[in-house]
Parts: sequence; C-alpha cells; structure tokens
Amino acid sequence: MRHFSEVYALLRRKNRKQYALLSGCCFFSVLLITAYVCMMRAPTILNVLPEGGDSRKQVMMIFVLAVVGCGVFTTYAAGLFFRQKSREMGIFLALGASRRQVRREMFRELGVISFGSCITGAVLGGPLAWGLWQIFRLCVVDTEEMRLTFAPNAYTLSLAFSVFVIVMMFVLGGRSVKKTNIIDIVQESHKSEPIRDVPRWYGFAGIALLVLGGGGGYLIPTFFVTGLHWYPPGWVEALFYLPMLAGLYMILLHTVVNGWNSKKKLYKDLIATSQMRFQGRQTVRNMLVMTLLIAGAYFGSFYTPMMGTGSIISYDARPADYVYNFRADQNLPLEDEVRAMAEQYGVSITDFAAAPMIRLAVDGEDHVEVDGPMGTTWHTEYREEMASELFLSASGYEILTGEHLDLRSGELRGVLDMEESRLGFRPEAGLVTNYLTKERLVSETLDPLHYDSLFGRFVISDADFAVLSQGLTDEWKETQVCFNVENCEETYDFAKALFNEIVDRSTIDVAQFDGWDPVVREQYIAKEGRYFLDREHCAEEGFTCIDYEQRDSSAFRMSWQYMPQFRILDKVDFVKTTAVFLILFVFIAIVCFAAVIVIAYTRCMTIALTNAKVYDDLRHLGASNVYLRRSVQGQVKRVFFTPAFTGTVLIYAFYVMIMYFNGNPPGITFSEAAGLLASLMVIAAVSALLYAVFRLTLRNVCKALQIR
Amino acid sequence: MLKVENLHKSYQVGKNTYEVLKGVSLEVKKGEFVAVMGPSGSGKTTLLNCISCYIPAGSGSIRLGDTELARLDEDSLAEIRNQKLGFVFQDFLLLDGLTVRQNILLPSIIGGLVTDLVERRADQLCEVFGISGIQDKYPAEISGGEKQRTAVARALINHPLLILADEPTGNLDSKSTRTVIRSFEQAKDSLEATIFMVTHDSYAASFCDRVVILRDGVVWRALEKNAEDREHFQDRLLDSIREMGRE
Repeated sequence: MRHFSEVYALLRRKNRKQYALLSGCCFFSVLLITAYVCMMRAPTILNVLPEGGDSRKQVMMIFVLAVVGCGVFTTYAAGLFFRQKSREMGIFLALGASRRQVRREMFRELGVISFGSCITGAVLGGPLAWGLWQIFRLCVVDTEEMRLTFAPNAYTLSLAFSVFVIVMMFVLGGRSVKKTNIIDIVQESHKSEPIRDVPRWYGFAGIALLVLGGGGGYLIPTFFVTGLHWYPPGWVEALFYLPMLAGLYMILLHTVVNGWNSKKKLYKDLIATSQMRFQGRQTVRNMLVMTLLIAGAYFGSFYTPMMGTGSIISYDARPADYVYNFRADQNLPLEDEVRAMAEQYGVSITDFAAAPMIRLAVDGEDHVEVDGPMGTTWHTEYREEMASELFLSASGYEILTGEHLDLRSGELRGVLDMEESRLGFRPEAGLVTNYLTKERLVSETLDPLHYDSLFGRFVISDADFAVLSQGLTDEWKETQVCFNVENCEETYDFAKALFNEIVDRSTIDVAQFDGWDPVVREQYIAKEGRYFLDREHCAEEGFTCIDYEQRDSSAFRMSWQYMPQFRILDKVDFVKTTAVFLILFVFIAIVCFAAVIVIAYTRCMTIALTNAKVYDDLRHLGASNVYLRRSVQGQVKRVFFTPAFTGTVLIYAFYVMIMYFNGNPPGITFSEAAGLLASLMVIAAVSALLYAVFRLTLRNVCKALQIR
Repeated sequence: MLKVENLHKSYQVGKNTYEVLKGVSLEVKKGEFVAVMGPSGSGKTTLLNCISCYIPAGSGSIRLGDTELARLDEDSLAEIRNQKLGFVFQDFLLLDGLTVRQNILLPSIIGGLVTDLVERRADQLCEVFGISGIQDKYPAEISGGEKQRTAVARALINHPLLILADEPTGNLDSKSTRTVIRSFEQAKDSLEATIFMVTHDSYAASFCDRVVILRDGVVWRALEKNAEDREHFQDRLLDSIREMGRE
C-alpha cells in the first residue's frame, strides 16, 4: 500500500457499514420518490384523479411531505457519515495531508456513492411501483383499468430529487473538508447539539396551539366562505394552520428537553432526558418530519377503511336490492324482461315495483361567484328555474316504498337517506315549473322523507303530478324501478347481466356525467354558449367522460347519471371500482411509513454513536446493564413514540373533526363512526409494526453500545 | 531548530475575548528533548497547537529551521506538517482500519514518499520500539503502550525536524508510560530526534533536558536538567510547581 487512494480504499472496506448506510439511505430515498412519482404521474392514476380535485391535491400534498422526509433523512445520513469520517479526515490533515488531497479522494468516493445509489434507485423505482401494483392486481383486484402505464416525464421529478441528493452530498462533503480547524475536525464526533432551556409551559401551550391551529385552519376558512361570502386564497387558509406547526414543534421540544414526567421522576429518567437534551436540535427536527410523515401516511391509510366501511354500510342500508331509473326515450328492460332474465339465472324476484317520474325545474338561490381584487366572493341570486329535479307522485312513491302519503295539492316532500347526508341535494322548493310548458306550482315544503334508494327525489300529490306532466316530452320523463330478490347475496351473475343489459341498451343521449342538468345547461348555453358538462366539453373541464366501454371502471360507476344501484353488484365490485384509489393511497402510506422507519432507525443509531463515551463513563461509574438499557430505551422510545403518538392523535382528531363538521347539521353518522372505528384498527396494525421496528432498533442500539 | 517569539493567541467566546497566550517566547535546539508543563488553562496545548499549525497564531513568530510558519499558505503548512513535523497525541489518533505497520507508513503515503527504503525504515522503527511482533495487528488488538509506541514510530517515519507530543502519557499506566518515554529517549539518542512535549506528568517531564513551565499564558520558569539525575530533577520540578501554587 503506497498510495493515498489505497488507504482510502482500505478504510472503505473496513468501514463498509458506514458506506452501506449512506448508500442505502440515498438509494432508498431516490427509490421511494421515483416509485411515488411513477405512480403519481402514471396515466392510469391521472385518469381517475380529476385535475384540481381533492384526491389529486391530497396525493400531491403527501408527495411534498415524502420529498421533505426523504430529503431530511438523506441529508441527515450524509451528515452522520461525514461526522464518522471526520476523525479520519482530521488524522490525515494532522499528519500533513492537504485539504485538496483529502477533498479529491472524498469527492471520488462521493461520486461513486451518490451517482451509484441515485441511478440504481431511479432505475429500480419504476419496477418497484410496477411490482407493487402487480401484487395488488394479483391479490386484490385485476381489471382492465388497472393496467399500469408510466409517463416518461415522471422521471423529471425523480431526476430533480437525485440532483438534490448528489449536490447536497458534495456540498456537505466539501464543507466538512473545508473546516479550517483541524482540532475541531478531530473532535467533531464528540460534539453535541445543545438547545436553549425550554420552559415547562411549552408542552401545554403546544397542545393549545395544535388544537387552535387544527380547529382554526379548518373552521375559519369555512367561516370566510359561509359568513363573509369570500373564498380566501390558498395561502390565507394555510396561514390559519400555522399555529398547528408551531404547536407541534413546541410539544416535541418540550418532550425532548423536559419530558412529560413530573419532577419527582426526574432522577429516574435523568440520563435519558439529559442525553436527549444535548441531541436536541436535530432530534426535534427529525421528530417533526416523522410526525408529519406519520400524519400523512395515516391520512392515506384511512382512505380505504373510511371509504370501504361507509360504502359497505350504505349498500346494506338500501331498502331495495335492485334500483334503477331510465329516461322514457330509452328502451330498457321492464318487469317482464327482468323476470325472464331472472329466471334464466335462477333468481327469484319477490316484489317488483316501477313508477313514473318527471323532471321539473325548481327554484332556489343560485350561488354566483365574482372575481374581484380580494379574490373570489360570492352571493346568491334567486332564480325561479334554478335547476331540475326528479319528481314522483305520492302514489308512485307508495308503489315503490309501500309507504302511504297524504299530500295535498301544493305540498311537496324531498327524499333523504337515513343518515340525512344532504350531499348535493336541498329537499326544499317554493316553485316548481314544467320547463317546456312553463306550467307552475307554488309549493309548500313539508318534512323530508327518508328512503335511501330514492335519495334526491321529490314527491308531490298525484293531482299536481298529473298537471305538471302535461306537455313533457320523453326526455323529461323517467321510470323508477325497485325490486327485491331471494338470497340477494347469490345473485351476482344476474346483477351483472342486468347491468350489462341496461348499459348496452342505453343510447349515447344518456351517457351523461352525474351532475348533468338540462335546465342548468340551457342557462349556460344562453350565457356562455357552452355547457361544461356536455360530452364534448366534460373531459377538458376535468370531468369524467362517460364511455359505455368503460362500464367496469371506477370513473364510470361513480359518475354515470343512470348508474343502477344493485346491492350485490356494488358490494362485490366495490374493490374493483375503487381499486385505483385504494391502491394509490395504500402505496402512499407504505412510502411514508418506510421513510419514518428509516429516519427513526438512523436517528437512534446516531444516538448510540454520539453517546458511546457517556455509556462507557456510566459503566465505569458502576451502572448495571439493566440501568443502561433502561436509559437507552428511554431515548429510543422518545424518538419512536413521540412522533407516532403525536402524529396519530393529530390526524385522527383532524379526521373526526372533518367528519363532524362535514355533516349538516354537524355530527357523525353511523357509517362515519364505523369508518373511524375501522381506521382505529389500521392504527392498531401500524402501531404493532412500529413497535416491532422499535424493538429491533433498541436491540441494535444496545448492541452498538455493548449493553447486554 | 524551533524558535517562538512573543506569541499571542486569543479565543473569542460569545462577546468575551480570552487571551490564552500572552507573549510566549522559547527556543528548542536540535536534538533537545523539551517538556512544557503548567496548570490547566496555562496555555500549553494552545502553544502546541500553534506550533503544529493546527490553529493560526494571533501574533508573534514561530520559526522552524529557516521557515516562518505564520506566513505559510495552507498547502505549504500541510507539507511542513507532513515532512518536517511528527505528531504524538494523547488519544494516539491511529486509524482503526489500518494495521500497525500501515499506520506507521501513513505520513509517507500521504506525502507520496513510500519507497522500498521507507518500508525498510518502518520495519526498523518497529524493531527499535519493540513492536515488530504486532505490526500486522490492528489498533483495537494492542495495548495503550503499544499504540503510543506505534504513534511515536509514525511520528518519526518521515525524518521530521521536530516531534510534537501532546500529553503522550496521559492515557497510559505507569508501565506503559515508562516504555513510551523510553521510546522518546531512543528516538533522541538513536535517531537524533528533537522532541517538544506537553505534559502534566512530572515523572515524564523529568526525563527531558529542559522543562518550560507556563502560567497564565506566559513562561513562568525554565528548568534545565544538565547533569542532574532524573529523581533530583523531578524533585526540583515538583518544588517549582509547589512554589508556583503558593504564589
């Protein structure tokens, strides 16, 4: 061995664990980001996440969080690496190596590590996303729309992140060599990160700010919209969430520096608390990122149980097994045909009911948005013909539900579901108009009815129904069908066949998005010359364009205006129709939790490295292994449990708050409560996983500190 | 060989400035074994770090041979450290990933000077300091005394003008201390090395030709051993230290 580079190579072989940790962190972060980006930018995903929609915003928000998390832990791993290398560098410089000489060797190494790990991560990120997706397809659901394709431009973000990793490593490496004082470099690995004293009230003040920020961030913008009729810009909304971040930081700071135990227990936790205090700054920063990542991961994880439980409960709550409606100009199967088809499939129909409906215009307060210097404001304008709704006669309602109604002329009742969700439907109208003949009915709204399968319909007296039906063309008339079958759970094939029959026989005229409304359309055409939900425009406006060929896709099933409600079909196909969403959010959760685990593990190993001398001293002072182990456990526990507990409570409370205030009036429905309960099960499973990683980390830290 | 004149050095801690060296002047002649003693905070380590060029001096002059160290640029200082100075540290500062022999050769490797001759010199140094039997072992496998003898051999590999030793016996037991001090004596006698050692240990200092005692950043007294035997010299050292404590 005669050359300096040979010394470096030899030391590299000896310290391969340090190199493996740094390379592994770089590789892992680029791998995760690439996989995430590939998934996020895949046409398969973009097709089901409407542009500007909440789902896409959530995915983007969590992506930013994942980038920050991965960026932080990679930077941290690099910092740790250079600290470990600092002794080596200090000795070289002390023995007369020039900084240029050391820098040259280090940059050569960094080049191999950073480029190698980034390229490998970027190359394998796509296959990882594809592989995970295929596993989901294999184990959960496999439909045509689940075929995953990648967009090449996705790699731009991956490339940008890789550039960040490479530049960051060279900057940190260059900086560590540049440090002017050799003595500092030699002693670098013994340096701690002190923080200022933190008053004990920080903990409770942090909780208060957290609650204030969470509540304020959600409710104040809502007040702006409902009370002040002003849509604040995004940054104003974000401003109200800021106390939350400050509160979170204060809670973590208090936990790290003071701990939550009373002063009586001070001596019991003395070592753990003191050691954490001197590792403060970096630990708190790491814990903050971990908390946010855990919150983001749970946000993604809750999507499936909330949506799944709610949907399954709503399917079960439907009073009729089979419900569908169609326009009078459509030639769709009615009782005879349906019974014949049922017979073919060995299905026994127990009752069959069909009733006519008519589409009438209703009055209401239109929501008019105006762009001004303060952003968008809104006001309401009364319109006699604001939109259209479907109307049943009282006798028709009785045929379908078996419930007798005594309605006098001029009275009307809206139909809500049992949970009174009222989403997109206001069960009131003062004026009802036949849009073609302009025949009008001044109406008095009575208490709403409750029947899940007929949610969103109005019921009027038979006499008014007869009068208002006069002069309506087939496009304004519909038929509502409800029927039950014996052993509904075993009638999937029949349900599928009937669904296909309905889709096959529906014409292009009714291939409309759910919110398409002929009355609103007329107004838009008159004002703007085009209607954004018309087939020719809906795609460019970010709405699903209904395509009968895509009848099994989630977009079709969630968006077609005439989508039948067949209990068994919806139940069995639930996973299929929502698979893209489910898998995307599960994937996001995996990425975020993986990042959390890596950050926690590297942080704890750093504690082991930094505290090695302290534990040696304690051992010399006669500390037993049990005492040392308890002290290590105290620190590792804080790194794991504080962010896990804070992140979990934070996001769960936030979810409960959203659910509560989303209702009208505020409250939590049965299906929401069930979803929240299912989310608790997810928390239990993830917590068990984190606990397992905690045990493993604790074991490795104890091993590194030679504590038996 | 080494001439320090009116050396000043201050540290800034927050808004406060602490003057550690307040005009230190001393000289070390070729082949001399000189110790610097003094209580904690007297400036011994700072003086050594300035001479080692690890920290920049505030003002004054440090001359090594014909070279004024304070005026050199970074690359030249590195060259001086590599080829004209040898270092022995309290914590040994051996690289754990290199064997004893590789550690000894490290200054030559850094300087790009390794030849067959240098390798033979490494073997010779191992023999002189009694570490030939462990030259293929790693630092973790040898005793503290053996580590420090390895460090002394490493300090000598490039034929330096001056060996700078910072508390070389601070981490050693009495037996290892004797062995290391013997190594310095061997280096001085057999290899004509000049040694400048900072120490707290009056026993180690009593082997030196001269002891400079620092107090509050200035040279308080310099004691020469001359023909005196070691025990008496150590007594004189201790008397001086006691006297300093009384003042």
